[in-house]
Amino acid sequence: MDVYEPGPGPQIHDLNPSTFPPTGLFWTIEIPGDGIRVNLGNGRASLEADDVPIFDYRDFQNALFGGGPAPKPGSVSFLVNWSGMNERLNIRNEDPVYGGFAGEFIRNTAQMEWTATVGDLTFASAPLATSSSSFAEIGQERNGSFFP
Amino acid sequence: MNFRDIPPWEFVSKAVAHRHNHGHSGHTHFWQRAMSRRQFTRTAACAAALGASLGSGFSWPGLVSAHEAHEPKPIPGGTPLLGGAFHVFGPGVLDPPGAEPSTITDFNGFIGLAFISGTVTRTNTVTGEVRALPFVNSDMRFMKGVFKGTDGRIHQGAFAFV
Repeated sequence: MDVYEPGPGPQIHDLNPSTFPPTGLFWTIEIPGDGIRVNLGNGRASLEADDVPIFDYRDFQNALFGGGPAPKPGSVSFLVNWSGMNERLNIRNEDPVYGGFAGEFIRNTAQMEWTATVGDLTFASAPLATSSSSFAEIGQERNGSFFP
Repeated sequence: MNFRDIPPWEFVSKAVAHRHNHGHSGHTHFWQRAMSRRQFTRTAACAAALGASLGSGFSWPGLVSAHEAHEPKPIPGGTPLLGGAFHVFGPGVLDPPGAEPSTITDFNGFIGLAFISGTVTRTNTVTGEVRALPFVNSDMRFMKGVFKGTDGRIHQGAFAFV
């Protein structure tokens, strides 16, 4: 979660589950399997988890490179919904930098509502319907030893 | 994750420096200790409960080493904008839309990715201050399927990228 001063101004909260430095598995954390539901037939998916442990690094630069204040532990709960089918794609990306995977994808839209607690601060987003996405996709892919 | 505040040249220069110096210069914090994500996952709940009683200087006990064998492996590369130092791409925002959305390699399953913006209300429970703040392009992802873990075996799992 990336929270900014209004405007938006400078970033003031960066909530992610990683310890520092994030040089291994990047900002990715295991959740219960029933928190993820996918229906590629109708372009819908949801991601839901409660009380996921995170750190507040204040901003992205501190989360990646350090040099700022020590992160504060906290927790976050969220619901993300994907819907729509703006575009269906079969991707086979063998690019040496960006690729090494293949799959079927749907470009669509997503919305989210979330809450968090960090120290004395609590966060509660506006309802899911008030949020919007600049880019969203769902799909099924295979990479690494499952590719090609 | 949101990259909008950092010029591309700064990303790369910091990433290169980061490869040679993993830490905050001149300081040692408990959270600088190298720890696997799985270790964090398994210990965070315990740590949250213990944190209050142990204080801000508590360290992470080695409670979870037995679980490391199930840990998924990160994708081998990373966005050039970060010098490839971090195992993530930003499809559609930072990198080409067709870039790898998964952060886990040797993975076969469902994937979802979105950059989402909205408004959040922040409340300080001590002072009572309430502020409406924007969250901007928050990067949310899921991965659910099978993966080959660090033990070389196939596992099922569900993961969120926050």
